[in-house]
Amino acid sequence: MEELVNELKKYLIEALNLEEMTPDDIDSDAPLFGEGLGLDSIDALELIVILDKNYGIKLSSPAEGKNIFRSIRTIAAYVAEHRTR
Amino acid sequence: MKDVISITGAGIICAIGNDKVSVLDSLRNRESGVRSVKYLETVHGELPVGEVQMSDDEMKAMLGLASDTVVSRTSLMGALAIKQALSQAGIEKTEGRRVALISGTTVGVMDVTEMEYHRNKAVLNVRDLPKGNECGKSTEQMAALAGLEDVELCTVSTACSSALNSIIVGAEMLRHSEADIVIAGGSEALSRFHLNGFNSLMILDGRPCRPFDADRAGLNLGEGAAFVVLQKDASRPLAYVSGYGNRCDAFHQTASSENGEGAFLAMTEALESAGLKASDIDYVNAHGTGTQNNDMSESRALSRVFGDNIPPVSSTKGFTGHTTSASGAIETVICLLAMQNDMIPANLGWEKPSPGLVQPSMGVENAVLNNVMCNSFGFGGNDSSLVLSRSVREDGTVDMPVAEYETVANVTIDDVAQLAELREFVSPMESRRMCTLMKASLLSSLRAAKEAALQCPDAVIAATSGGMLQTSIQFLEDMEENCETMLKPTLFMMSTHNTVASAIAIRLGCHGYNITYSQGEASSQWALRDARRLLESGKASSVLVTSFDESADGGFRSESMVIRKKL
Repeated sequence: MEELVNELKKYLIEALNLEEMTPDDIDSDAPLFGEGLGLDSIDALELIVILDKNYGIKLSSPAEGKNIFRSIRTIAAYVAEHRTR
Repeated sequence: MKDVISITGAGIICAIGNDKVSVLDSLRNRESGVRSVKYLETVHGELPVGEVQMSDDEMKAMLGLASDTVVSRTSLMGALAIKQALSQAGIEKTEGRRVALISGTTVGVMDVTEMEYHRNKAVLNVRDLPKGNECGKSTEQMAALAGLEDVELCTVSTACSSALNSIIVGAEMLRHSEADIVIAGGSEALSRFHLNGFNSLMILDGRPCRPFDADRAGLNLGEGAAFVVLQKDASRPLAYVSGYGNRCDAFHQTASSENGEGAFLAMTEALESAGLKASDIDYVNAHGTGTQNNDMSESRALSRVFGDNIPPVSSTKGFTGHTTSASGAIETVICLLAMQNDMIPANLGWEKPSPGLVQPSMGVENAVLNNVMCNSFGFGGNDSSLVLSRSVREDGTVDMPVAEYETVANVTIDDVAQLAELREFVSPMESRRMCTLMKASLLSSLRAAKEAALQCPDAVIAATSGGMLQTSIQFLEDMEENCETMLKPTLFMMSTHNTVASAIAIRLGCHGYNITYSQGEASSQWALRDARRLLESGKASSVLVTSFDESADGGFRSESMVIRKKL
């Protein structure tokens, strides 16, 4: 699971272009949106693209991703269970 | 005497008709033009769209062009609408009169560019693209197709409010005696770029859109063009442009604020400039796209302006689809038709009310419309509102004070090494989506504001020829490589020409006038002329003007200045 967590952080940094950030700077359990990392609605759409392209997971709307995208660890748990590649 | 701006002619082409008569028929018969894709080559056959029901070849034939002529659909539709408008205004020759054509568009001739790239990507050098990303190109083409000679050309690019802002710019040019006749409006063809862009934002409804409905699930993309002829003191106008407001939400690049601040300010300014009270408005043609966010935000803004007495409101996007940059002009012409024919168009698709949302009109056949408001909002928070009236009060003189002004700061950024200085103003998180050109223009603007000791300018005006060229190229590549699926939303949202002016407004909290000009090498001149008009009329006492462009090989340059009324 830790491997997946780190992989997700790398994808996140690349897709969202989080300049000057390394995987270690992202707390796996901290909220990604709002008060945590501070991501917004466009980042949620980028997360949907990450899940589709890398793990074959299809989400049809950001609303569907709301609970999944709470933290890196909740995403990792969802990916581990639902990935098709 | 206060200058009265008259509309003397109007032309329209959209999904519900190729002229005013057929559009009116469809509005009366409640016939939607939202259908399955017929003309656009795309893999997204599942998405309903509002296409103009004519092929490029049919439009070329109407304009006397050979079918192998390479020309943008945006320009073809624009030329047809312009010809209708001039014909109604009875203008055949413009000799001796100063004429300006002002058109609003976001992706201009992209339909041609993307098709060339799609067919020839193996041989097409991306460096051939700069011309294809210039909004002004479509305005040049439509002027030529409409047979307009010796006409000043200007293109406004504020995303989906582009056409309404063109009408506002046109009215101001007449007031400042910069032209005798203005043809103003906008045109936008459906393109794969636009369809996939909106799809990447997941705001396209797979069913016909339902603006203001509890179960609304997004918008349907449309296309079309509309233009009006504006003149001062005409004898028998179709209606008067009695008021207008251009404001910025300064909240987010694609989302509207919860309390609809920009929309509220634009509507309020439009009413004030028309000398009208909220209760004088008989009908509001809403922006009403059908997205969760727009309809909630606009409803909130309408409540703030009109209180408990909101006049009949309808969005006509259920008829036309969201015609993006052209929508402000298309809906202005729909408002004209409504006023002339004593009717309120229905808000097609609406069924279910929802708390906090406007309950739209489902159509009225015997309405007397003396004053009508037309809302048009765009990404980047570019919110504008127009008021049309049957009559105007000529209430005394309005002085046009000749103010003196001066440039108090001027900053140029053209070297990558300078970009590190952006950290003084913006955190890495805030700049995560910014491309090099965006960083350069934001930095030059924020530096200029700082040098001028200005916290928030009264207006932000941007000028660019090719806009966010690198980002647009990247989105085109993404579209080709990934066959129009799962594209990066960040690329699309950052590709529009108005992202810079919007980012400046967000960073400085500037809710004032906000506009972006894109007319090739003349872009900066148009920006400076607008700044001068704002300063001369006292609408602003400080204006931030920024111009920026990049080349396909990575070179860039941004210059920003603060112009101020002399104290």
